[in-house]
Amino acid sequence: MARVWQLLLFVLIMAVLIGLPPLLGAGLQNAMTNMLIAALFAMAFNLLMGQGGMLSFGHAAFYGVGAFAVMHLMTAIDRGGLSFPTPLLPLAGAAAGLLVGLVTGWFATLRSGVYFALVTLALAEMLHSLAPHWEGLFGGEAGISSMRMPWGGFIFGQVIEIYYLTLIWVTLSIGLLYAYTRTPFGRLTLALRDNEERVRFMGYDAHATKMIVFAVSATFAGIAGGLLAVSNEQANYELFGTHVSAQVVLHTFVGGSTVFFGPAIGAAIFTLFAYLVSDVSRSWLLYQGVIFVLVMLYAPLGIGGVVMLHLRHWASIPWQRMVGPYAGATAATLLMAIGTVMVVEFLEALFSPHYVAQRRQAETSWPAFERFGASWEPFGILTWGPPLLLLIVGLLILLRLRHRIVALWDEVQETAETAARSGA
Amino acid sequence: MREDRVLDLRGIAKSFGSARILEGVELTVRRGERHAIIGPNGAGKSTLFNLISGQFSPTSGSILLNGREIAGRPPHQINRMGLSRSFQITNIYHRLSVFENLRLGVMARHGLRFSLFRRVAALRAVNEESEALLQRIRLEDRRDRPAGDLTYSEQRALEIGMTLATAPEVILLDEPTAGMSQEETHYVIELIREVTKGKTLLVVEHDMNVVFSLCDRISVLVYGELLATGTPEEIRANRAVQEAYLGEEVA
Repeated sequence: MARVWQLLLFVLIMAVLIGLPPLLGAGLQNAMTNMLIAALFAMAFNLLMGQGGMLSFGHAAFYGVGAFAVMHLMTAIDRGGLSFPTPLLPLAGAAAGLLVGLVTGWFATLRSGVYFALVTLALAEMLHSLAPHWEGLFGGEAGISSMRMPWGGFIFGQVIEIYYLTLIWVTLSIGLLYAYTRTPFGRLTLALRDNEERVRFMGYDAHATKMIVFAVSATFAGIAGGLLAVSNEQANYELFGTHVSAQVVLHTFVGGSTVFFGPAIGAAIFTLFAYLVSDVSRSWLLYQGVIFVLVMLYAPLGIGGVVMLHLRHWASIPWQRMVGPYAGATAATLLMAIGTVMVVEFLEALFSPHYVAQRRQAETSWPAFERFGASWEPFGILTWGPPLLLLIVGLLILLRLRHRIVALWDEVQETAETAARSGA
Repeated sequence: MREDRVLDLRGIAKSFGSARILEGVELTVRRGERHAIIGPNGAGKSTLFNLISGQFSPTSGSILLNGREIAGRPPHQINRMGLSRSFQITNIYHRLSVFENLRLGVMARHGLRFSLFRRVAALRAVNEESEALLQRIRLEDRRDRPAGDLTYSEQRALEIGMTLATAPEVILLDEPTAGMSQEETHYVIELIREVTKGKTLLVVEHDMNVVFSLCDRISVLVYGELLATGTPEEIRANRAVQEAYLGEEVA
């Protein structure tokens, strides 16, 4: 039964990914391309983190290397007349990721845990600071730009063509990553995460194993970077930046590192969120950060993990009693979200340079400011009262409902445990 | 006589900084025997195991496995040469299923160490061997449970199963019955007796009843030095051993 649902869900998602974009504008098509690329990047990262148990803070290195490799190949085709099929450009990203992954992986995997994380961080930072000075390789501060060449009847001039090319590459890559988990080496990767010492005492060379896991992860990160280069037709040293490495960590954890598709979910949601919210609000990074912190605190399994938890216990969840609290909690969260957004946006308006200038010109010391298409008094009770009320009411409802939801889940866990014991 | 000695320790010494843990240890383990190492806490038994299995290198001396030097080699190489060990503190893959824990060992023995292009479900020999091993350690009904969910004695049985999974010629068991009730001890000892048939066993054990009933020969380690080696009767009768270690227990 579960299989059927999984298959159905897969077909549905693919149908949306294939059928929806032609109905959208170029902006959203581009956002969806970026969403797919971010999803692949996060899945590649999670092979190392979720399956191999190695948390890298420098995965931007392989993403960036993949992008630059593709740019060089694209330039060679454009200027040098090299004949190479445009749809296969990301292969250059894969090759570069693999190569750099093997070399750097050899060093990084000599250490574990915090030291491993720091080595990877240093590695990406090194590239980030070297790249602007290495004109020939990374194009200096401006970076490299080039043009996609038409191939096999495709012009590759429209966003939709690039979208479908990306979709094919990402689907194929994620399919390969899934197949990886079904190989002997994929099982060994999980063992490595659980207990590296025992792996060694079972006759496996732990260092070589870790290095290969690292290189495979870097290869797929390189493909993701390569796809970005194909889409943007340019790359610069900012690709090696800490924010790129941090972003992929964030996507993975919010999506859920313990679930295979979790990172893709996190990446898709956050990329879409960034596209939609960054136009409307300057504080979108703050909202993203708040969401990340809240997920880590109250749903550390991530979105994918929470969904899986519900699917696993579907039959034993007392839905009739659960629906009420869940609906209430959703409504309360919404109230708190509205309250938070109002407070943040008001503060943003008050501290903006625009408002500072306004204050200088105005006769009164604290003139009213504009937000949400209305005018607000900086010290007005009607300005701060409603958002604070929303926050308090939402919080009180959540606190009350939390106990009920936790109690219901305790029941579910108990039924699951007794079932497991009697079944054994 | 060479074929008779499967494991040969010559002049083994180990120091950590200024602390001397082992000194001049000479030990021969014969093929097919069950050999126990006993001694008070802190005598260096675990260190000796760590040296033989490759966790540490000895400060001096040599360790021969079937005539080949293994002192200072990494654990995975020693394992591939036919020596496998268990751990005093349970050392399993907690989040993986019991079956998967065993299969990883079987895979290693089949040389599937970097196998990226085959489906694990299609490896018939590996899967059949893993199932057989699962039955031998009597954990069939726990097959798909995460190993971390097992009871303590089940985990100890799994620990032994994982040690056997690489089909070693020489098996090192580090306190297999530590922390067990009498009933559980009995169960594990029967298991060990059964699964080590035709193999060489070197075991560290505190329970004297277990040692005297299970093993063919016993070595006594006291303060980093080997006091005596012999059959259970010889050890029981040995004055030095009685004074240094066994004391009232067997006198």
